[in-house]
Amino acid sequence: MGLRTTTAVALLALSATPLFAQSKSDVLGTYANIAQAGYEDSFITAQRLKDAVEALISTPSPEALQAAKTAWLAARVPYQQTEVYRFGNPIVDDWEGKVNAWPLDEGLIDYVDASYGGETDENQLAVLNVIANPTFTLGGEEVDAAQITPALLEGQLHEAGAVESNVAIGYHAIEFLLWGQDLNGTAYGAGDRPWTDYATGDTCSNGNCDRRGEYLKAATDLLASDLEWMAGQWAEGGAAREAVLADENTGIHAILTGMGSLSYGEQAGERMKLGVMLNDPEEEHDCFSDNTHNSHYYDGLGVRNVYLGEYMRVDGSVVSGPSLSDLVAKADAGVDAELRDRLDVTMVELGQIKTAAETGFSYDMMLERGNAEGEALIMSAVDALVGQTRVIERAVTALGVDTIAFEGSDSLDDPNAVFQ
Amino acid sequence: MRAFLAATFCFAAAPAFAGIDEVIESHVLPGTEAFAEATTALASAATDDCTAQNLRDPYHTAFDSWLGISHLRLGPIEEEGRGLAISFWPDTRGLVGRTAAGLVADEDPVVESPEAFAEVSIAGRGLLALERLLFEDDLAGYSADSYSCALAQAIAGDLARMAGEIDREWQDSFAASLRSAGAGGNSFFLSEREAAQALYTALVTGLDFVADQRLGRPMGTFEAPKPLVAEARRSGRSLRNVGMSLEALRELAQTLADHPIPETEAAFAAALERAEQLDDPVFAGVASPSGRLRVEALRTLVSEIASAAAKEIAPELGVSVGFNSADGD
Repeated sequence: MGLRTTTAVALLALSATPLFAQSKSDVLGTYANIAQAGYEDSFITAQRLKDAVEALISTPSPEALQAAKTAWLAARVPYQQTEVYRFGNPIVDDWEGKVNAWPLDEGLIDYVDASYGGETDENQLAVLNVIANPTFTLGGEEVDAAQITPALLEGQLHEAGAVESNVAIGYHAIEFLLWGQDLNGTAYGAGDRPWTDYATGDTCSNGNCDRRGEYLKAATDLLASDLEWMAGQWAEGGAAREAVLADENTGIHAILTGMGSLSYGEQAGERMKLGVMLNDPEEEHDCFSDNTHNSHYYDGLGVRNVYLGEYMRVDGSVVSGPSLSDLVAKADAGVDAELRDRLDVTMVELGQIKTAAETGFSYDMMLERGNAEGEALIMSAVDALVGQTRVIERAVTALGVDTIAFEGSDSLDDPNAVFQ
Repeated sequence: MRAFLAATFCFAAAPAFAGIDEVIESHVLPGTEAFAEATTALASAATDDCTAQNLRDPYHTAFDSWLGISHLRLGPIEEEGRGLAISFWPDTRGLVGRTAAGLVADEDPVVESPEAFAEVSIAGRGLLALERLLFEDDLAGYSADSYSCALAQAIAGDLARMAGEIDREWQDSFAASLRSAGAGGNSFFLSEREAAQALYTALVTGLDFVADQRLGRPMGTFEAPKPLVAEARRSGRSLRNVGMSLEALRELAQTLADHPIPETEAAFAAALERAEQLDDPVFAGVASPSGRLRVEALRTLVSEIASAAAKEIAPELGVSVGFNSADGD
């Protein structure tokens, strides 16, 4: 939603256009190449997760559960770096809820602890527990869930009752199925689902192990196919790549919108500051696995990647090319230097959270009421993200792209689109 | 107001953004002062007699005055997350009810120290946590020597503290920072345009919030309207919040613009008139198709205000909408 434009300084934008015409299209090419590589890597690592999940279901064991968890953690690394593509690219934003919706009322999916509570004002399905219930009522209609299939999860359960926290699919639903609820509050420790939740016969714990396995497999299959689809959108001739390349100024504007909206409203605000202010460990972005420090770190790295035009793939190879930084430097070297600095400062701050979490001071501990060190760690990163957003705004102004998007943009063609 | 606008227009040779001064003097500072006074009155009422019955009137006055400034999500209200702590809504995970009831059930001694209470989850502080104590049937019957009484006093005192900080910080530093935009030594606003853009962004974001959240959330979808999530429905304030917020945003638009803005004024008047006629104080009507349609019509009118402002105010100031804290999903 960021950087909506008005008819304000349309003339400025026109005069800026011809100057950088060639290099803008090169920059957009790099942007699309990084997106393609990032989603391909996300697909590759989701395939590995799928293999590990199949092994867990066919031969359940503590090691097989651990292997699936390890595969999930690895899969998050490339995916989080693609989040910067969400805002500013409608194709990504419209699809994103299928793979990374959060937070979730996990009682929709499986058993939960009594402390979780029941239905709320917002969600009357918060404790539906589809794994334990082969039939249930949804919006007055009987639903047959005897078979847990991708179609059931995607078509009927996901966002059931138009409630966003009814998240039935994607990384976080899978995370819950692998780790289970984190019942340690703001003390150290992640979810501790027993491997026997996937065992057969008498060894099965908490009931319905076969249905739980069916659910996990369906959700993992869907995740992989959704990621494969998005990688295709960014390949040569794909719709997302074409959309970005269609108009140079609109494309550049999309890059900056993605950077600014993720940095400020989404990451600094919704994900980090709110968690501190609620002292709520469920406000961790990867709350079941206690992987939030990595989730934040790789979000930040993704913003830096698209500005500097460089992404390191999961096989260690590097995708790079002419960058937005080059463009901004030509327009205003001071703004470019400051933005590079700010992005580096953010990575240092996010790196400190990661370091602390990896050495025993986990993210949920940082959220504890009155924990001054944790609050300082998180709020320093929030401040860095807010600070970089202000310079991203200056880059928008320096490039004169703050007003072009209204040519064929949602906000002019359909005034109501602004409010969606 | 109109006379003043005409007068400023004559001094077109003066600063490019005379509106910034006008916003500060006629909109922000009176608003932060009124909110500080109203929350101080609420806190002192709570000290005298903390029962729900005694606090409902000063509660409404405090909430009313909050709506005069709640859209100013820059500077002191954004600092330390005060805006979120004063009014944590939307509450998509039902945390306010759980946290307020949890504090009462545990008789958490944190209420004894204002410093410690300031660290409590925002779901247990602010206007919406207090609303549970004052208006929810199974909580509001508390007596003067109960834990709930001490909690109501703690919340009221915490609100007064934050309101005082907001008022002082605006007076002491942030107003000067906006006024000196572009001057040497001002590292926050590097140009007058940045200051004007920040205020314009607050206007548009505030209108978005009314349309998308205050009206949009209870509307839900046609198949699944969600009347229970209406803002402050327990105190019967949902529609009142829309009206008062629109009035405050109109004042911001009028003060920010250096010239007449007839289309924007007309759009505000149309939306306010519709809100007044709605006769659906907590949007319970969204549960029926015809009731939902009436709320939707109001939402459309609010959207039209932003379109008018984009045409009339933004070009004059030479600004666009910047990033804002509502950019997330």
